Order: sequence, then structure tokens, then C-alpha cells
Amino acid sequence: MHAPRRKAFNSVNAASLARWIVITAFLALTGLVYVYLTLQLYHLGEHKKALENELTSLRAQNNVASVQIAALTSRSAMQRRLKEGYLKMVPISERSIVRLSAPPHPLGEDAVQPVANKRAGR
Amino acid sequence: MKWNSRIRCALVCLGFTVLFSLFSFRLVYLQMIKHEEYAGLAAEKHVYKQAIYAERGLILDANDEVLAHNTPVETVVADATHLNNRQSLIPLLRDALQIPAGELSDKLEGDRRYIILKRGVPEAVAIALKENLRAQNLRGIYFERDSTRVYPNGSMLCHVIGFTDFEHRGIQGVEASMEEYLHGQDGYRYIEHNRAGQEMVLYRGQERTPRNGYQVHLTIDLNLQNIVENEIDVAMREYTPQKATIILMRPRTGEVLAMANRPHFDLNLRSEAKPEQMKNRAVIDMMEPGSTFKIVAAAAALNEHKVRLDTTIFCENGLWNFGGRPLHDHKPYGDLSVRDILVKSSNIGAAKLAISIGDQRFYEYIRRFGFGERTGIELPGEIGGVIRPPQSWSKISITRIPMGHEVGVTPLQMISAMATIANGGKLVTPRVVKSITTEDGKTQSTFSPVVLRQVIAPETAAQIGNALLGVVSDRGTAAAAAVPGFTISGKTGTAQKVSPKGGYEQGKYIVSFIGYLPSDHPEFVGLVVLDDAHTATPELNYGGLVAGPIFSRVAEKAARYLDLEPHEELGKPPVAGRVALTNAPRH
Repeated sequence: MHAPRRKAFNSVNAASLARWIVITAFLALTGLVYVYLTLQLYHLGEHKKALENELTSLRAQNNVASVQIAALTSRSAMQRRLKEGYLKMVPISERSIVRLSAPPHPLGEDAVQPVANKRAGR
Repeated sequence: MKWNSRIRCALVCLGFTVLFSLFSFRLVYLQMIKHEEYAGLAAEKHVYKQAIYAERGLILDANDEVLAHNTPVETVVADATHLNNRQSLIPLLRDALQIPAGELSDKLEGDRRYIILKRGVPEAVAIALKENLRAQNLRGIYFERDSTRVYPNGSMLCHVIGFTDFEHRGIQGVEASMEEYLHGQDGYRYIEHNRAGQEMVLYRGQERTPRNGYQVHLTIDLNLQNIVENEIDVAMREYTPQKATIILMRPRTGEVLAMANRPHFDLNLRSEAKPEQMKNRAVIDMMEPGSTFKIVAAAAALNEHKVRLDTTIFCENGLWNFGGRPLHDHKPYGDLSVRDILVKSSNIGAAKLAISIGDQRFYEYIRRFGFGERTGIELPGEIGGVIRPPQSWSKISITRIPMGHEVGVTPLQMISAMATIANGGKLVTPRVVKSITTEDGKTQSTFSPVVLRQVIAPETAAQIGNALLGVVSDRGTAAAAAVPGFTISGKTGTAQKVSPKGGYEQGKYIVSFIGYLPSDHPEFVGLVVLDDAHTATPELNYGGLVAGPIFSRVAEKAARYLDLEPHEELGKPPVAGRVALTNAPRH
């Protein structure tokens, strides 16, 4: 009686099933990770693009500012301001100029250079 | 029946087999055989080669003051295949870019993929337009970064700096001559767009980063240039000449410290400039130099040991008939030493000096001084002038050339010749470029002084320099060129203006003065040339009276700026009086 009843049940190979479940889960997980990482790459790409744009924009602003500085400090702009009275120039009187007589040019680069500080050679 | 059903089954199977075989064949055909072709077509549709433009290098003066740089602008382009709402787009673009609606709709018609709508759109306008496009969800309009050249000093040094065309290629001045250094190298990147026209960063392909242009450092000192520009403007107001040129140069190195011409133009408004204003007359204008050329005859005769500085020459009491033609001096002179021939600027004396060495040797000296060939300065369009060989000289040429007639020279050649005297007889190539650096300041190349040749012996140069000291004295023709506290060697020139139709123009003169200071250790050479200056009476239209005082004012300010030590023992010079003006208004 027992033997035929036993035959009515299909035996389940738990180890094999577990192996397949693990493989399937692994594949599913791999797929999900792949999709996730791909999406991350897209997002990082977008982020990179945004940063690049920001950097370019900052560089452009910096250039615009440099141009403005150059224009405002240019000689013609200074002279215009001088004429308009925004700037004043005071000539340096001859008495205020101290001239240091320049030493004669050394013959070669290795020649001894005169120095103001006598301790320099120590 | 059973057989029939089997046959039917087999036929159905066969049908399916054939069908799937066809599909498979098609699939293999598309995926393998036609792969390259279709992949290329797909790439053509989505992959773009995006240019990454290099920035043009800056131009700086000797003190690193910016003379030319770039301001960012954007080029607005459209891809007609990506446009999703032309009706809303056109009014938006019309208002932002200031383009008529009709022109816009014409441009955006069809399915062209690259339509340039406007170049040089300022950054602020482009940002506002981008915001509006995003807010209204309008697609198909793209922005390409670009830049435009800006010259902060406007018209100052315009002929030396030059300018670029809309493709950023230099077409005049240093912008043109240094094009290969300034231009840089554009980069590129292969990118893919999605359906919305946005770049998919993930699929970026090959990329080459751009190399920005090198920075060009000039020898020009903007402080000295400013002095020269101010004085040339004063001269233009006082004497209303047709043209004027002032150059300052360092004789030892050939560095041009300042160079100004009139008429001139604003580099930022170059489209409004006339061709006459754009000419750098210092290098492309030819003139008869007049008496300044006498230094060549005197130097040649002294160098050939035909005469000494104190050798006396009979100057025929002001009138000498040579070759059947009279040659005049402006005053009757009897015996004059070689020194006095220069000091008094005797035409007859200079002619006799040239005759003493002969046609061929004199011609050789003229050429050795650099006349008749380009100096080699880094400025485009330079001419070599006209010096005819002795074979084509007339009988009287040997008497006319020493006084600066029958020759065509540029102002730069003339100042180079005087720099040769100041430099102990060495002819140095004049130059305006000091060095080339990368944008972070690393020196790429440095331009060293180039000594072309020893034209005359150092002793001869010293003798000429010594004689020219007398020119800027009470005895000489250019007392008004003196600078308090400094010794100046110089020479005046007054030449009748050559008419383009042949002969000379009556009452029109080119007046000039060239000199250097301090005489014993020259720091700079200066040249002042005024073409057709207007004075109250023609008798006052002389180099010493018109160009001399201008030189004096320029040299005095330049000496102060260069901190040259004045000699206290040198007394006050005669007052550098100004020649009476015409009706030209004084400002």
C-alpha cells in the first residue's frame, strides 16, 4: 500500500531548485543593477553636462568681467575720467625724486653683482 | 484524408519555414550585410562633430597691459528638423535677435539642419533667450559659444595692433603677422543627440581639446605710446598736416617703443574706418626724406676716410652748377667743415661728400643703411622703398640723393638709419614683438635683437653723433628740438612733396626731425614726420621749426618716464617756440 502511494508524489530536488532560484535571482539582480547603473550613468552624464555648462558660463562671465575691467582701466578711459575731473594727477616734484645711479652692466652673467645689502653674501 | 491532412500540415510547416527563413534572411541581411551602411546612416542622423573653439591669444604691451582680448558672445543657430512651433518661435527670435520676422521665416523654411541666425549675440541676450525658449518649450534653437575681439584702448596703437575679420583671422597689424601664434587650434567632440535635440553625454565619442592661442607681448610701452599719441594729436590740431608719424625706438635692441600715425581709426569701430585711416604710414608710406638723408652721405665719406670731421669743403657761396643744373643752399656758405655741413644742413656740402666717394660706393652705403629693402619688422605690408642703382642715375643724381631727393624711404627705414648711428654703426632689425607666451605665462619664444650688419665703424658713428649734437644748438637748424638737461644728436629734414602726377607740389613740404638722446649713451631714437603741415608763412615750414619742437616735447616726457638722469650742468636750452599757426583752431 505504501509503495504505490509514494509513487504518486513527485520528488523535488531541493538543491537543484535552490540553485536555479539563486541563478535566476542573480540574473534578475544583475539585470536590475545593469539598468540601475545605466540610469546612473545617464544621470551622471546629465550632471556632468550641467557642470560643464556652469563652468563655461562662469568662464564667460569671468571673460566679460575682464573685458569690462580692461575697458574701465584702459588709458583712454582714464584720460576721459581725468578730463571729467574724476581723477586728479599731481606731478612729482624734482626734489621728491631720488635717483640711484645704476651700476655699469656686468660683462657676463657670472660677474659679481653689486648689492645694496652688505650681508647678502654671507 | 489522413494523407491529405499530413500534406496540409507539411505545407503549412513549409510555409512557416519559408516565411521565417525569409525573415531570418532579411534580418541577417540588415544586421550583418548592411550593418555598416545603416549604422552610418543612423550615426549621421544622431552623431554630430561639435567644434570646440580655441580662444584667440591676447596682445599685451611691454608692461603686460592688455591691448586686445576676447569677449564671449554666442552664435544662434537653428535646426529646422527639430523646430516644434515656428509660429511662437519667430516673434521670440525677432525680439531677442533684432531680426525682421520675414527674414526669420525665410531662414527657417525647409528642413535645413544648420541655419546661422545671428553671430555675435551678447552673452546676456543669449541667456535671456535660452530662458524664454525653455519656458515656452520651444525646440530647435541652439547656441554656439564664440568670442569677439575687443580693443580696450580704441584708436591707440591701432595701426600696430591691427584687427581680425569675422572668422577671427588677423587681417592687419600684429593680428595678421602673428596669426599663427594668436589663432590657436580648435578642438572637437563627437556627440549624440536624443529626439529632443539634447546631447546624450553617455554616448560621447572621440574628443580633442582645443589649444588656446598664445599671448603676444609687444615691445611697445603704452605709457610712451600715450605720450606720442597726445603729442601727435596736438601737432594735428596745430599744423593740420595731411599725415603725421611719430616713432620711438630703442637703438641697442631695435625695439619699437611707440608708433603713431595720423589719420587713424578706432579698432572697435573698424567697419566705419576709411582705407586712408587704416594705413600704417610708418611702414607703407614712401617719402623723400630730405636733409635727414645727409647723415648717410657724411657717414659714408667719413667711413671711407675721404674726409675728417674738421675737413673743410667749399660750399660755393650757396649756388653750385653741377651737370648743367643749379644746386642751392638755403643760405650762402663758403668753407664749411664736414661737421658744419651737417649742422647747417648744406646741400652743396653733402653733394660734394657723396661725389668724393663716387656713385657706386655711395649707393652701397645707402643699401648698407637698410634703404631699398624691408626692415623685417613684424608688421604686414611693409615696403622696401625705392633706391635706384647707379646705372639708372642721371648726371645730377649724385648731388640730389645726398640731400634726400630721388629716393623713396619709409619713416621706419629712416629711424633705423639714425638708430644705426646711435648704436655704434650696427644696423639692428626693428621689431615690435618681444615674446610669445602661453596663456598661463610660460615663455614659448623670445625675440632677440638681430644685428644685421656693421654699417660703419663705431668711430665713424661716434663722429657723426658728435657732429649731430651741433644741429640741436643755437648754431644748428633744430635749436627748438633741445630737451633741458639732455644732449641730443639729431637732424632735420624738409622735403618738397612729390606729386603723384610727377614733379613736386608747390608749397607742400614733408618736414621731419630725427634724433636720439642722451647723445653719449642713447636710450631712444625719435622720429617726427609731418606731411603738408600748415604754418602761417611757408618760410616757417621747416623740420627744425615744426617737427623739432614736437620731438622736444615727446623726448622730454619720454626721458622723464624712462627716468633718464638729466645733466644739471647743461644749461637751459633756447625756448622751444612754436611756429605760428594758420587758422587751425587751437583746442
